[in-house]
Amino acid sequence: MNKRNEERMASIEMLAEGLRSVAYIPNRQIAATVYLAHHLEKPILVEGPAGVGKTELAKAAADYLQLPLIRLQCYEGLDEAKALYEWKYGKQLLYTQLLKDKLDDIISRKNGFASAMEKLHQYDDIFFSWPFLEPRPLLKALQEKDGAVLLIDEVDKSDDEFEAFLLEILSDYQVSVPEIGTVKAVTKPLVFLTSNNTRELSEALKRRCLHLFIPFPEAALEREIVRRRVPGISERLTHQIVKFIQDVRELELKKVPSISETIDWARVLMILHAEVLDPVLVRETLNTFIKFEDDVGIVTEKLHQLTALAVRQ
Amino acid sequence: MERVLEEFITAVRSAGVRISLSETLDAARAVALIGYGDRALLKDTLAVSLAKTAPEKEILCNCFERFFAFDFFTAEPEGDRCSPKDGPLLDAESPLLRLLMEEDRAGLTAAMTEAARLENLSQIRYYTQRSLFALRLLNRMGAGDLDRQLQVLRALDTPEAAAAANRLEAAKNYLVDNVRRYVQNRYDLFAGNEAERRLDSELRLVKLSNIEQRHFVHLHQIIKRMVKRLNDLHSRRRKRARRGVLDFKRTLRENISCQGLLFAPSWKKKKVDRPQFVVICDISRSVLRTVRFLLLFLYGLNQEIAKIRTFVFCTNLVEVSDILDNCPVDEALTRIQGGTDIPLIMGRTDYERSFGDFRRNYLHAVTRKTTVLILGDARNNYNDPCPEHLQAIYDRSRRLIWLNPEVPSFWGAGDSEIRKYSPYCTVVRECNTLDHIERLISALIRD
Repeated sequence: MNKRNEERMASIEMLAEGLRSVAYIPNRQIAATVYLAHHLEKPILVEGPAGVGKTELAKAAADYLQLPLIRLQCYEGLDEAKALYEWKYGKQLLYTQLLKDKLDDIISRKNGFASAMEKLHQYDDIFFSWPFLEPRPLLKALQEKDGAVLLIDEVDKSDDEFEAFLLEILSDYQVSVPEIGTVKAVTKPLVFLTSNNTRELSEALKRRCLHLFIPFPEAALEREIVRRRVPGISERLTHQIVKFIQDVRELELKKVPSISETIDWARVLMILHAEVLDPVLVRETLNTFIKFEDDVGIVTEKLHQLTALAVRQ
Repeated sequence: MERVLEEFITAVRSAGVRISLSETLDAARAVALIGYGDRALLKDTLAVSLAKTAPEKEILCNCFERFFAFDFFTAEPEGDRCSPKDGPLLDAESPLLRLLMEEDRAGLTAAMTEAARLENLSQIRYYTQRSLFALRLLNRMGAGDLDRQLQVLRALDTPEAAAAANRLEAAKNYLVDNVRRYVQNRYDLFAGNEAERRLDSELRLVKLSNIEQRHFVHLHQIIKRMVKRLNDLHSRRRKRARRGVLDFKRTLRENISCQGLLFAPSWKKKKVDRPQFVVICDISRSVLRTVRFLLLFLYGLNQEIAKIRTFVFCTNLVEVSDILDNCPVDEALTRIQGGTDIPLIMGRTDYERSFGDFRRNYLHAVTRKTTVLILGDARNNYNDPCPEHLQAIYDRSRRLIWLNPEVPSFWGAGDSEIRKYSPYCTVVRECNTLDHIERLISALIRD
């Protein structure tokens, strides 16, 4: 990482301030973890309920450090050809055709099979060299000169095998390409892995990472997030929205509203020029943050009570 | 300060968080970077580098609060205090005495932690060691000196000396009290969960029939853990077994559309048989507990087991697969025992009739792939055991395993007919502890 970024990472406060400047409001633990990850050169495994800003954290970090964000979205069946590198088969094939004539020249001038073979051996690996290599996200992240932010999103969706394959890159920041050798990182990237805990990750993977759990934010933090993300929203409305959402999270819902949904709702209310919450308005906009029919029922039942509580503030 | 971290990690480990060596090293590096200055930051740092799940984080934070609790020597000492005016009467050379006289709380705490370090307090394991460690700590801090001074003062026999002696006594009590509390705190940290862990390992070996009701919750947790382990172990294995070799015929067939060029190879798939079970349980009182835990196990493993059909018998035999499929084992067993909606007669155990029932009504449930598990003590109340019924089941099954909750020395004694049945069993096993059940089941789903 270059000098400028060393300065940006000089202290936790500075980092927290920097993340704020790119509209990500970290709590202290988040800032401390990113700081540690940078200085210890360790990846961060981010867990937490959906929509608390796990992916957003990586984006914000890339923004603040002005590094390219390289994203690898994991899914079942993801393999190294898609994650690490692939040979450009088409290019290889084309070049073989082109080289055919050339090959004749090389061989025919020489008299004798042995010397022709010898000559050929000098060219043996040209098709498996860098020009024919298509780097995929992981390799790309290692090759960035100034470093990069590598986001391995939803790592829990990938297979066990892929997880094992990540271990090398996570602990040593290097990958092995059999035909070429070991590729080491030019500058070690800042790595974020996110997981929604659809399955338990292996001990080995967890051991190599710092583990950050992002819960739903407290009211004050959430208000700040809304203020930052929805510029121009009135202070009163922000208070009411956040209070309402925080109360809804206490209910037994199938899916509780996340921060991103709070922001969406705030935006919707802004567009509708709402000044304060009222039950009718809430009912009409409920579907921006409640996504299940059953949940809508539960919230509607308590709508008046919740709105009253939120407005009373 | 390395040692502090080390002890903290010991404490967290004993609270049940798994911390590996590499994580310890990470934490040490992180702490070296952060320093011990900011308490909240230190906590976050440790939580991030040591604990790897949300529940673990909670445990760790809890441990942190207790481990770095500096609430010793905070309460005001009761009664009169030692004060510097007692100076002339007392030997002020003793550092401990000076600390007490000046009420230097930080100094006292430091002296106590230092003494704890020298005495290896983190090695405390047993409840009974607490007094011993408290005594050792006090000695190390120089409390012996206080006693000596007390004796000197009492010997003086003047009113001032007596008053000073009382004050000194109070100060000493104050000290002892705090050291005791400190030792208790460390015991909770380092050994508090030791007892529970020992209970765990012992519960696995105790006979199920002897386990008290209050341990059941605990037992269920152990089973849950065992089942999870077995599931983890075997789900991976099943996947590997799926990979096969090139299926040449199919490859040819499928590539006809590519002018016969072998473009997309297809692979032979190895079909992995998930075991099928038929469980026949005696649910008379003598066997019931073992049945309960066996079923808890089996139904926990539903990912690995293709199909389980469960039959219970006492005087006669009925199928209860439906009940077990639809509600948790505990509830199911109460319903079965209550027996209002099922035609089960809870009279004397009758193996002849029960096996006969099975042979007549359900024999088709047993195929070449089925493993039959029979759980019972084979005590037939001196009736005819009629092993032909069992033979019929045995002949159709892949294997027939008889689990006997009695210890082998009782087999065949009294009305036990196990010796007559055993020729028609692939294997007869003793089964009366969790350990037995686990070993059996892991063997069963392995092949």
